[in-house]
Amino acid sequence: MPPEIPKTLAGLPTSAPRFVGKPTARIEDPALVSGRVEFIDNLALPGMLHCAILRSPVAHARITRIDVRGAEAMPGVFAVLTGEDARRTTAPLATIPEGWGVHCLAAGKVRFVGEPVAAVAATTRYLAEDALERIEVEYEPLDPIVDAVEAMKPGAPLILEEKGTNVVLQKKFVWGDVAGAFRSADRVFTERFRWNRLGANPMETFGVVAQWDPVDGTLTCRGSYQTQGYMALAVATVLQVSAHRVRVVSHPHGGSFGGKGGTRGTCIAALLSRKAGGRPVKWIEDRMEYLVGGAGQAWDRHYEASLAVKADGTLTGLRVRLIDDLGGTPEGAGAISAAKPLTSFTGCYTIGAAEYDLTLVLTNKLPTGPYRGMGPPPHNWVVEQMVDIAARDLGIDPGEIRRRNFIPKDAFPYEIVTGNEYDSGDYAAALDRVIEMSEYRRLREEQERARAQGRLVGLGLVSTIEPGVFDWNAYAIVGVPMTGVPEGATVSIDLFGKIVAKVGFSLEGQGQYTVAAQVLADYFGVEMSDVRIVAQDSLAAPPHFGPGGSRLGVALTGAILGAAERVKAKLVRVAAHLMQADPSAVELMDGKLRLRGVAGAEMPVAQVAAVMLTRSDLLPPDVEPSPEATYVWTAPGRTPADENGRAKSYLTAANACHLVRVEIDPDTAQVRIDGYWIADDCGVRLNPANVEGMIRGGVAQGVGAALLEEYVYDAEGQALTSTFMDYLLPSIHDVPQAQMATLVTPSPFTPLGAKGVGEGAIHTTPAAILCAINDALAPLGVRATESPASPQRLWTLLQNAKPGR
Amino acid sequence: MTNPVAGTRPALHAIRVTVNGVVHEASVDPRTTLADFVRGDLGLGGTHVGCEHGVCGACTILVEGETARACLMLAVQADGRSITTIEGIGAEGALHPIQQAFVDERGLQCGFCTPGFVMTVHELLATRPDPSDEEILDHLGGNLCRCTGYESILRSVRLAARRLREAKAAGAEEKA
Repeated sequence: MPPEIPKTLAGLPTSAPRFVGKPTARIEDPALVSGRVEFIDNLALPGMLHCAILRSPVAHARITRIDVRGAEAMPGVFAVLTGEDARRTTAPLATIPEGWGVHCLAAGKVRFVGEPVAAVAATTRYLAEDALERIEVEYEPLDPIVDAVEAMKPGAPLILEEKGTNVVLQKKFVWGDVAGAFRSADRVFTERFRWNRLGANPMETFGVVAQWDPVDGTLTCRGSYQTQGYMALAVATVLQVSAHRVRVVSHPHGGSFGGKGGTRGTCIAALLSRKAGGRPVKWIEDRMEYLVGGAGQAWDRHYEASLAVKADGTLTGLRVRLIDDLGGTPEGAGAISAAKPLTSFTGCYTIGAAEYDLTLVLTNKLPTGPYRGMGPPPHNWVVEQMVDIAARDLGIDPGEIRRRNFIPKDAFPYEIVTGNEYDSGDYAAALDRVIEMSEYRRLREEQERARAQGRLVGLGLVSTIEPGVFDWNAYAIVGVPMTGVPEGATVSIDLFGKIVAKVGFSLEGQGQYTVAAQVLADYFGVEMSDVRIVAQDSLAAPPHFGPGGSRLGVALTGAILGAAERVKAKLVRVAAHLMQADPSAVELMDGKLRLRGVAGAEMPVAQVAAVMLTRSDLLPPDVEPSPEATYVWTAPGRTPADENGRAKSYLTAANACHLVRVEIDPDTAQVRIDGYWIADDCGVRLNPANVEGMIRGGVAQGVGAALLEEYVYDAEGQALTSTFMDYLLPSIHDVPQAQMATLVTPSPFTPLGAKGVGEGAIHTTPAAILCAINDALAPLGVRATESPASPQRLWTLLQNAKPGR
Repeated sequence: MTNPVAGTRPALHAIRVTVNGVVHEASVDPRTTLADFVRGDLGLGGTHVGCEHGVCGACTILVEGETARACLMLAVQADGRSITTIEGIGAEGALHPIQQAFVDERGLQCGFCTPGFVMTVHELLATRPDPSDEEILDHLGGNLCRCTGYESILRSVRLAARRLREAKAAGAEEKA
């Protein structure tokens, strides 16, 4: 029977929580600030070799000759691999949708700059890179196709010839009476947008140490894996071994944001290890490899959107046409990013009809992958611009038009037209908090005065949903058939009452171990320092996914609480037996098993656990001597998707309202953010400092998306952004210090009422900044519609607005 | 890390480097970066490498008390010099006040960039014990963090500065 998991803090067996809900210090931090955490590049195994990868310098070509003899002859080189090895011994990489995969090393043809062509394992990385210089490759150039719109046309060069097309998926989804909404609208607004490629760029790149055991045919891969269990499946599929022969060990990693990848690198290192007789092989991706050939590019999108609006500002219909450029193959799960907007397609609004005209296209660029937010951030950026366009045309304040269309707070749970259900919310309250905190009216007056002086000052005020607790069923339209995402934990108590929780993921930065320790400390009435969280590898851990999709805080809390409830049930039975009472009369409270109504009749948890472990003679006959239990949580009430993708998918809907004030320098077109206000409602905050960190980090990445970050390719498909001097990450000078307010609308569906918030403000910040920029530009009659709003792009717009200058 | 192989043996250079107060004598391939030497040869893994081209600041260490990018220096350039890495500040069971401030103000999430920030702040507070916010921003402009949004890092530096000033004042009082 599934355990009863408390949905509120009051359901915890403590008279007052001492840790949950408090901004406790993170148990992860002392080791991290000391540089003592074992990131993967800190691991050295006996006999370890180092891998370097030769990558394609051209976007599209046939490999006509490859000669590795020079490299093989070098002393210190133990293995060299090419695409022919991969073709002979491996399956193509898995893709979403299925059936578009290539090999982990290019076999016969290269499809993007940076694609692995050959690899070397040598005694040092220096030597391995020297050996790459001795590999001769001849390429016969093919016409590159770099533009997604061109790639869709008949006669375009083909990325995968055998497929006969570059179009991976083309389908129009219609929900509700879209034609009717547009027919009966008083106004219809249409605009095109271009969101350029950007991506995760965690400060640590991907790294792996792979070791093939040539005797028993097993493989161990240690690395900076975000989702080790899925990596084991992916690698086993490519290497054509059964998954139970692959052990994946996730090391602490220096951030991920979805952009860690690792399948190709792991398979290459594994094959090298096999060829080198089982010596461990380390591959650490360097930053240039990450930028050009890693898992750090996402969301290369051409949008056209239309909004149907009534004269009073009521939004009645939304059409979005998306051409999503997936790059060379759909191996990076970029397609999932195109499907995820279904979770929150119509944002905070009661829009009753929507259409999604979706095309996924291949081009000769790096395959796109996941990035924090996984798709909705560009979608929100488009939808919120459309709402502002309508507001401006109708003469309604941006806050007011949103308020008129908000899902009312008493309408939850609320099913949006694309099928997902929002759990709870109070969007008007968040908007009110921002208006009040920022003195919005005063800001508008100041803006009027600034405009009168010819200054370009703008305000962006937007409200968005952050879908939380991801579920696979949200991605059904791109060919993902599953429903439910298990997350397990095992909780054990030792004979001194100390607690260990075993989980299937490692440190990534969000502070999940701290949350688990908070929950367990309150549950069993101990200190957080009495709790230890231990990562298990992919074979040892209970079913797990790990961090991703703003899910783990909620899912882990569910797993920990479920396991704790099961341990409690055992403790209660043993304590009742020892106290010669009926189990129903015994309860856990504040770390003691108490006989209800009998003062002083109680046993500490540690004592009961010690009896279980050391005095089997005292136990009830059918209780095992184990104060330990496992629980695997998955979101309740999820439904499989119908053919239009409608499903109860993401379990929670957090809400944020952001206001940003910008000023554009008319001479340099530089955007300066000089005010930022946030009201955020992600339900019950298990650790408010963790939540604040997620939101502020999301703002920073949102600023990067809005103003700075872009992967640039030239017409030949050459990657022009290969260092941090070309790909601009926000520095401490670029990120505003936002003023923040907290709202708490608990989720009725989740453990302790918490909602997913790990992806946070990246859902909102790009939209808010572009709204502010366009508010500043409005008097000039021009509109920015391309990301990032770089000085060069805005300067061009300003010149167009000033003929004669 | 830099052990050469017979047949490709480059001319090795003998160097003598003091790292965290300990003298190390080594023979290194001249192309070995200081980051690889410190991490690989000396086993001091706290100096993280984020970009290998001097932009991100994760590998920041102190050379004669001044910040340097360990990825942009060669080990041979450190010959005869004194270096401090993240392992050289703080003691067992007692974090350095800068590290403690980062813990207390949540100046980190994944922690990969953190040693570089801590070393950069170390240099700042050694020369400016009471920095203005503007000075802090100026000094940290070359360290990238992808997680925090920097606000908590700014708070961490303010707190560390205050605690170090208070500790110094208390120490001066004790002496008097």
